[in-house]
Amino acid sequence: MKQFYYSITLVSVLAVLILAGCGSAPEVNKEASTSAIRAAEESGASKVPSASLYLQLAKEELEFAKALAANDEKEKAESMLLRAQADGELAVALSRSVKDKTEATDAVERVRQFQIDNQLPQERK
Amino acid sequence: MKPSTIIITAVAVLLLAGCASVPPPELVNARQSYEQAINSPAAQLVPAEVHKAKQALAIAEKSFKDDPKSYKTVDLSYIADRKAKMAVALGVTAAEQAKEENANKEYQSAQDQVMKNTKSDLATQTENAKTANENLAAQTQITNETKADLATQTQMTTAANTDLTKQTAITKSAKDDLAASERTVDQKNLQLAAETGARMDAENRAAKAQAALVKLAAVKEEARGLVITLSGSVLFASNKSSLLPAARERLSQVSDALMETKERKITIEGYTDSQGSDKTNMDLSQKRADAVRKYIISRGYSAALIEANGLGKDRPVADNASAEGRANNRRVEIIVDRGPVNK
Repeated sequence: MKQFYYSITLVSVLAVLILAGCGSAPEVNKEASTSAIRAAEESGASKVPSASLYLQLAKEELEFAKALAANDEKEKAESMLLRAQADGELAVALSRSVKDKTEATDAVERVRQFQIDNQLPQERK
Repeated sequence: MKPSTIIITAVAVLLLAGCASVPPPELVNARQSYEQAINSPAAQLVPAEVHKAKQALAIAEKSFKDDPKSYKTVDLSYIADRKAKMAVALGVTAAEQAKEENANKEYQSAQDQVMKNTKSDLATQTENAKTANENLAAQTQITNETKADLATQTQMTTAANTDLTKQTAITKSAKDDLAASERTVDQKNLQLAAETGARMDAENRAAKAQAALVKLAAVKEEARGLVITLSGSVLFASNKSSLLPAARERLSQVSDALMETKERKITIEGYTDSQGSDKTNMDLSQKRADAVRKYIISRGYSAALIEANGLGKDRPVADNASAEGRANNRRVEIIVDRGPVNK
């Protein structure tokens, strides 16, 4: 009797799992691409002209990947997600490079002003 | 096989080969991006990222070789392009970070230099302040010494002024004494002049009296003074001591003459001749001298200046053997001192 209940439960679980697998689109890993897009947004890529283009492309590619996945084209979807991830990461890099460039420029200007204020000799570059 | 078939086959092969060798635009872009990456600072600064781009491009190339027209080749080329661009971007980031780090180091160095200069300036200022303080202390010392010298000088000046005041007082006293002495001398001179005048006047009066006496009686200068000799017979009756009237007149004139020199001491000496006892002669001569003294005093002469002595027969001036000689010996002599009596 007890073995009967175990068998019923096991069959039910397997049935549920089989039904769930058959009733939805194939799963794709969007984690990397979405993380890259989120990082780009947090780095202020939308406000950096050279980075905003790639952020936009990453978003479009993510949506396109979702559509491919929904169309049961898992491999194309995964490939498109890699493109989205690459564009997102590039947007982050460009955004940071611009930010670092600004900070570097500010640092150099601060040095120059400090040298002027304190009448120190300035290095010729 | 027909030639046409061979040509068609060859063209088809060439076309196929040509189509197969044309890379997709994504791959072309990936190659160009990679070239840019390896020629950018990224090759030195972020070689790992460039290597990733290289690997991605290699995968894309392999996919292109295996399956040129597949979506995977396009996507892999696309990703390789982005990897190369990202390597360039990260290279820029690294360069900018290095630049910023260098600037920060330079800023720190400048701050250190400013701090060092400030410390140096502070040390110099401290040294200058120390020197200034030392100079101030020296100046203060000099000022104190000057004040002390000034105080000493002031004290000396005060003492000198005090001495000067004393000297002035002494000088004034000396001047006063001198003036008093001069006044005394003047008074003395005046007194001396007066005395001289009086003496001259007295001498004149004495000379005048002497001249008058010469006419009245025998007058002669002797060592004891001016001796006026009056004959006894003219003055007194024989053995009498009262004056005869004629004698009074004669004595009156003599007294007037003597009054000219009334400040001189007068000695009246009475003499007799040798007849009679000595006692009688002494008494008579004394009485006669007294009578003459009394009369002269009655004429105004000072009694204190007149002395009367009876000398009897002593000091005869003639021979008592003859009547004439005895008459000459009976006499009264009035001796007037040479100078006035010192009072």
